[in-house]
Amino acid sequence: MAAKEGRFWGWAFASVIFRLILIYFPNNLNLSSRPEVSTPLTSLRRLAEGYWLKQSSLSPYAGSMYHGSPLLLYVLGPLTAKSLVFVIADVVNALLIRVIGQNLQISYNQRLKALSLDAIPKEKAILPSRDIAALVYLWNPFTIVSCVGLSTSPIENMAVILSLYGACTRYGPETPPRKLFDGKVEDSASSNHSHRAMKQQGAATIFSWKPVLKFLMWSVVWSIYVLVLCGLCVRHYGGLHEMFKRTYGFILTVPDLSPNIGVLWYFFAEVFEFFRNFFLIVFHMNILFMVLPLAIRLNHRPCFLAFVYIAISSMLKSYPSVGDAALYLGLLGLFVNELAGKFIDMQFSFFLFCVYVGVSLLSPVMHNLWIWRGTGNANFYFATAMAYACFQIVLVVESVSAMLSHDRKLKKLSIAKHQESKSQQHSTNDLSDSRTRTTVKSAVASWIEDLCILRNNAFLLSI
Amino acid sequence: MAETEAPRPRQRPIVRLGIFLISHSFSFSVVCCTAGVLALLLLPILAKNTYISENALMPGSANPMLSNQDVLEANRFVKDLIALNSKPRGSGIESQRLIAQYMKDLGAEVNYHKFHPQITQFHPLQFFSSPDSGTVERNISCSFHGVNTVGITRAPRGDGKEAIVLVTPYNSQKIKQAEALSLGTAYSVFSLLSRVTWLAKDIIWLVSDSQHGEYAAVSAWLRDYHIPMFTRLHTVNAETCPDINYLYDVRDNSVTGRKIYDGFKRAGTMAAALVIKVVDRSETFDDNLNIYAEASNGQMPNLDLINIVNYLAVHRQGFRVKVEKLWSLLDSKWLKNLGELFESVGQVVSSINPQWKFGIPAADYTEGIATLASSLYNQALGVPTGPHGAFRDYQVDAITLELSPRASVDKIIRQNDFLLRGGRLIEGVILSVNNLLEKFHQSFFLYLLTSPGKFVSVGVYMIAFALLVAPLPMVAASLYADAINLNSSQNNEKTVADEPGTALRSLKWVNAAKKVFVVHLWGSVVSLLPYFICQIPNRSPTVSFIIWFLLSVLSFFIMFLILASPFSHAKESQLHLREWAILKSVTMSATFIGLCLMSVINFSTAELGGLLLVPMCLMAQPMRRDIRVGSLSTLSRLAYNLVFCLIGFPPVTFVLLKGAFEGFNSINVGDFWCWVESLWAWSSATYLYIEGILYLFGAERGSTITRNSRSEEAYLAICQLVLLILCVDSFRKVVHPHMVRTVRMLNHCIVLARSL
Repeated sequence: MAAKEGRFWGWAFASVIFRLILIYFPNNLNLSSRPEVSTPLTSLRRLAEGYWLKQSSLSPYAGSMYHGSPLLLYVLGPLTAKSLVFVIADVVNALLIRVIGQNLQISYNQRLKALSLDAIPKEKAILPSRDIAALVYLWNPFTIVSCVGLSTSPIENMAVILSLYGACTRYGPETPPRKLFDGKVEDSASSNHSHRAMKQQGAATIFSWKPVLKFLMWSVVWSIYVLVLCGLCVRHYGGLHEMFKRTYGFILTVPDLSPNIGVLWYFFAEVFEFFRNFFLIVFHMNILFMVLPLAIRLNHRPCFLAFVYIAISSMLKSYPSVGDAALYLGLLGLFVNELAGKFIDMQFSFFLFCVYVGVSLLSPVMHNLWIWRGTGNANFYFATAMAYACFQIVLVVESVSAMLSHDRKLKKLSIAKHQESKSQQHSTNDLSDSRTRTTVKSAVASWIEDLCILRNNAFLLSI
Repeated sequence: MAETEAPRPRQRPIVRLGIFLISHSFSFSVVCCTAGVLALLLLPILAKNTYISENALMPGSANPMLSNQDVLEANRFVKDLIALNSKPRGSGIESQRLIAQYMKDLGAEVNYHKFHPQITQFHPLQFFSSPDSGTVERNISCSFHGVNTVGITRAPRGDGKEAIVLVTPYNSQKIKQAEALSLGTAYSVFSLLSRVTWLAKDIIWLVSDSQHGEYAAVSAWLRDYHIPMFTRLHTVNAETCPDINYLYDVRDNSVTGRKIYDGFKRAGTMAAALVIKVVDRSETFDDNLNIYAEASNGQMPNLDLINIVNYLAVHRQGFRVKVEKLWSLLDSKWLKNLGELFESVGQVVSSINPQWKFGIPAADYTEGIATLASSLYNQALGVPTGPHGAFRDYQVDAITLELSPRASVDKIIRQNDFLLRGGRLIEGVILSVNNLLEKFHQSFFLYLLTSPGKFVSVGVYMIAFALLVAPLPMVAASLYADAINLNSSQNNEKTVADEPGTALRSLKWVNAAKKVFVVHLWGSVVSLLPYFICQIPNRSPTVSFIIWFLLSVLSFFIMFLILASPFSHAKESQLHLREWAILKSVTMSATFIGLCLMSVINFSTAELGGLLLVPMCLMAQPMRRDIRVGSLSTLSRLAYNLVFCLIGFPPVTFVLLKGAFEGFNSINVGDFWCWVESLWAWSSATYLYIEGILYLFGAERGSTITRNSRSEEAYLAICQLVLLILCVDSFRKVVHPHMVRTVRMLNHCIVLARSL
């Protein structure tokens, strides 16, 4: 175990060194001007411009350069010259992912034990999934590029990961599907102590509003606090209204149509002006439509749900960059045991990997063809953006279906095991009775917690 | 849930088609490869006639205005220029002064442009960055400089935001008759254009000083034109370089007394550029016009530019237009036979239905193939065929017009006629370009010429390429699927706990991908080595080649020991076959990605690379197994693989080709270095190619051989084998277009590199 720890820290350290080398020899790599790396929202040059405007007592939003929060200017503004911040942010991200992974692993093992399937997940030969996830995040070329290319996406990723981390630490996160426990309950209902179990279940499924209200209250307090601070910052430059228009309005109305790896810029460059609002609504509703069905289907796996949400939003957001992809690919590593484990294969993993490599290499080539050589045109670049979006869709669909069939397999195994044990159940009535009771209790409790986390996630992401 | 377990009764047709193709991948790949090669040979037949796509050009719609008066003026100019040769001292400066004087008399704005030819520098990432991103270090002695003379005629109807460029390279140290004639042609046009009223774009006449190479002068001027220098370079030089001081003295004492502006003059964005050259060739019976179009990395100017030149030259001025051909192919027997075969097929087809136009005469076919081969070769090499290549880096369409008169131009009447026709041709082209409202964008940028009037567009030639590379993903998929199935069936038999890797059996490819990645890394290290070797002073080509060779071997060992560590795995010999299959499939998919990328960057490189790589990838098998089995088929496969390896080994190919054309006594290892140097000096995509693709083969071979022989043989023996083949591959990088090279072109290349 210690050797593995050492290996992890060695690789993590190497990635930091690699970043530092790239940062201090940037003469040939003009990464910060690549459209894949820096979008209007994440470009550090824009942030520096906003900071400069603020320093000279102008509105930071003047000239449509900066589109972030005014508070971010206070935090990051003085640090714009030091690219070390992003390296630190990346390392912190990786460590947070690692801790999340640890939590996930512990709770996963607990649930499996509760289902008496504890013999299954023994992976001795490879690194634990938390280390894999952290290393995937650290060594992902996308992460490295967005770190070296001085975009603020490592910082934004840190905010997302931090909230995920908070959600995972407060409540034990992942469970196998709740239906499993239902099945168990039904089975045990046939036995002589059914009424007690039913009573337990009925008692526990009463929805408790307390954590939800608590969460809502805290989030309202926090948002008011942030808004007041923002209002103080921009009170001379048009107030909160101006801020909302320049930040959220900029994101929602997509006025900047400079090319990026998303699909919206091309579409809104082509669309007729009087249809623009209609299509804006359609595109943004797309994200919202997916929130609820996914939440219902994946409610037993809030962390995985968070991954799916992040992937979808990075696919459909107005100004995507490779930093977003780095985030969800890192989170994908957390589920490597479930997705590629013994029960289920992600069949297209190799194919997805090839497309990933191909698209990420093709994108700069097409950009070069369009901008520098002039032999291509915007369609060339947009074609890679479309391929990239398709790749992301396939990735999400594949991983969700793999996860669901993993859970299905688990259920089948557990039912089989349960039926085996049912034959011996009559001899050990009391023991199984108590075990069932605790299992059901924990299952129901966890479901409620999951719901809270789910709302938490949804709230964070919608913000 | 039970349905997912049972095999699905009906699948969608596209899935079934995919499964069918994958399961018959062998026959599929044979058919596809053959079809790909055949489609490449069919390209001259599928070529279409060129047409002028941009309506605004309207070539030949006005009568030429160039009169005998202009020609007489030009004659006087030519005579004065040649007379300068007899003067002993400072003829270079004198000639520039004379040209500037003539330009000024025409009412043009004149300035000198002093430049140092840029030292050839290798930027590893130059392709992906903008052309101006590299900062130029200037620490050159002043003996090594040139002076361009630039004259600008402002358009009476223009706003000074657009310009057309005329370029006439000449050697300022020694002006030859032909060069003087090309200057005269440009002068006659320029003098006409300084008077006309219809001009809407400024005319820039760049008389480039080609004593350090034609390309260097033009590219230096373009660099300064597009990237403003805020430091006055010449003031620094003026302190140290007496020659330039002399130039300024002369300027001040000039006859008219008007001062020549000593800054840099500009005239807006360039719509097009024409490079005018005149060469003496006595063997022809007609006035010839050679068009050179290939710029760096296989970029071509817009087809419309070639079209108007071709149209005006053929239909108005009676030139015979040619594009470059591979002359050696014209005499080859098999091409003639092939052409006759296609011709007879075409006759049969047209007898069935006269509507179907298929097939061209055999002679045309041979010419088409020769032109196509030359075009492919020049594009694949990535070295521009003339000074026009410099313009393409700034998105300006440019071609070189090489005029060659019918007989020698000693007679004054003959010379006048030649000047008149050449001048009228250029006037017509400028008139057309002057009509343009936008940049050239209507016609093709991606095409191959099969004759001056015929072209193959991207949509057609891509089919040949797609057919050629289609087997790669198919075979990769089938290998991968087989390996996975083999895996799972074995897992069912064995107990699971035995193997550590089986837990992530769908991630089995990660190991193979790691290996491929490491070999790629090594490849890029080897390809970056010349950059460091060049820092060593006082090296001969032979020495640098040997250093390169040794360093790459050394770096291979380091990488092998530290990163790849393939010896840590490979415990059970049963695993070999399966792992090898996955490795091969990863390699093939990487090759596929690389080839497709390259086809976007530079089609010709991808096509030629594909011709070499695809059969290699498809046929590669572990060698030890072949030897052990020892049947005829496996041995022939082994022999085939070895032969391909040898062909792929650049120095061997180089030596063989050179020997075939020049005889074996003149061979020097250093020549290969020169060639490589010339390639990276032009930041040719061919060079970039290595990093991505060619090492794959090395990956495949190296790893498979290591893997399969290790269980049987001693360490040393394998190392030798691996080393041999891997190092062979390491030098393959640049040389895959060798198949179509002639030594004449090669020498041209080397001379270019040296002159830089």
